[in-house]
Amino acid sequence: MKSFVAALAFAVVAAVVVAVVLNTFQEPSSVAFTTTGARVGDPGHNLIGPS
Amino acid sequence: MPGSLSILKFAVFKPLFVAFALLFVLAHPAAAQLSFKPTAEAVQEDKLLNALKEGDKITGRVSIPDGMSASLIQPAGRDWRDFQRSKLPWIGGIAILGMLAVLAIFLMVRGRIRVRQGFSGKTILRFASFERFTHWLTASCFIVLALSGLNVSFGRMLILPWFGADAFAAMSAWAKLAHNYLAFPFMLGLVIMFLIWIKDNIPGKLDLEWIKQGGGILSADKHPPAKRFNAGQKGIFWIVIIGGALMSLSGWFLLFPYLPANVTALQFWTVIHAVIAMLFIAAMLAHIYIGSVGMEGAFDAMGTGEVDVNWAKEHHALWVEEQQKKAGAPPDRTPHAVPAE
Repeated sequence: MKSFVAALAFAVVAAVVVAVVLNTFQEPSSVAFTTTGARVGDPGHNLIGPS
Repeated sequence: MPGSLSILKFAVFKPLFVAFALLFVLAHPAAAQLSFKPTAEAVQEDKLLNALKEGDKITGRVSIPDGMSASLIQPAGRDWRDFQRSKLPWIGGIAILGMLAVLAIFLMVRGRIRVRQGFSGKTILRFASFERFTHWLTASCFIVLALSGLNVSFGRMLILPWFGADAFAAMSAWAKLAHNYLAFPFMLGLVIMFLIWIKDNIPGKLDLEWIKQGGGILSADKHPPAKRFNAGQKGIFWIVIIGGALMSLSGWFLLFPYLPANVTALQFWTVIHAVIAMLFIAAMLAHIYIGSVGMEGAFDAMGTGEVDVNWAKEHHALWVEEQQKKAGAPPDRTPHAVPAE
């Protein structure tokens, strides 16, 4: 039971750490795949905007 | 006077111009009424797409950093879309529902596999805490990955009508996040599993004998001898390792879609990811069944880590002997004998 709970906790922590690290290194698609001329100021909270 | 001469010429030829204009209008009344249909004269899309060979694309030129957006039409994408919409649901349905049906029939026909001699009351350590941690790390991630992945393939068809658009969208968004990020601890679990269990999962001659006897599953009288893992468990191990590796590789390309060379390569990896996932889930259903409902005493191996000695002797007789020799105990005693709960 301890191993099971520890595994669940580790999985959640690892997933959060990965999310933080990837979001640090990666740009949102609204920035990475547009140039400044085509970039909108606030893309909103959707699939292409900042999460 | 050049100007006077031109006016004179126009006056002379004016009736002739008017006559030609009238002739043109009368001969082409449709054009005069502007009822020309450009689509009737244009190249039909189907003909254009059919003329494109496999791998051909109609591309444009873009100046934004997204080079893939230059692909305007890729005929192979239609095959990919058809596969996602028609073939994949059949593959998944047959694999997963078929496996559930087989397991249900097996349970009805064979019943639960019991410990023939009953529980002895003594246990032996089967899996150490780190091994159980690794198993549950990989398994728990797999369950979330499987459910969230099935939602991608079947959610719109099966869950959306029940949940409604808003709830389904919110659930799918969270499921996608879980799928993306739990993939990493899942891959870590796979690597650790491979390292700690590879030595006990090398196929050998003993496995052929185990397979010939059907693992003793169909017989209530005897089980073929096995070391730590029998041929069936070795099969599950290699399905997990090879299937997991393919899922990880293809999933990596889906997580970072600009790693593949082009859209065609990306579509190829999505197909690999989806098909392997369906087969993987079906195989794991069998693993979950035999490790819980299907076999008495089996769950303890990953539950507490301790299994009953009689269970161990029936399914892994050679492994029990090895453990007893290591502990220097006589054959009938066990190195970690403790009362079973």
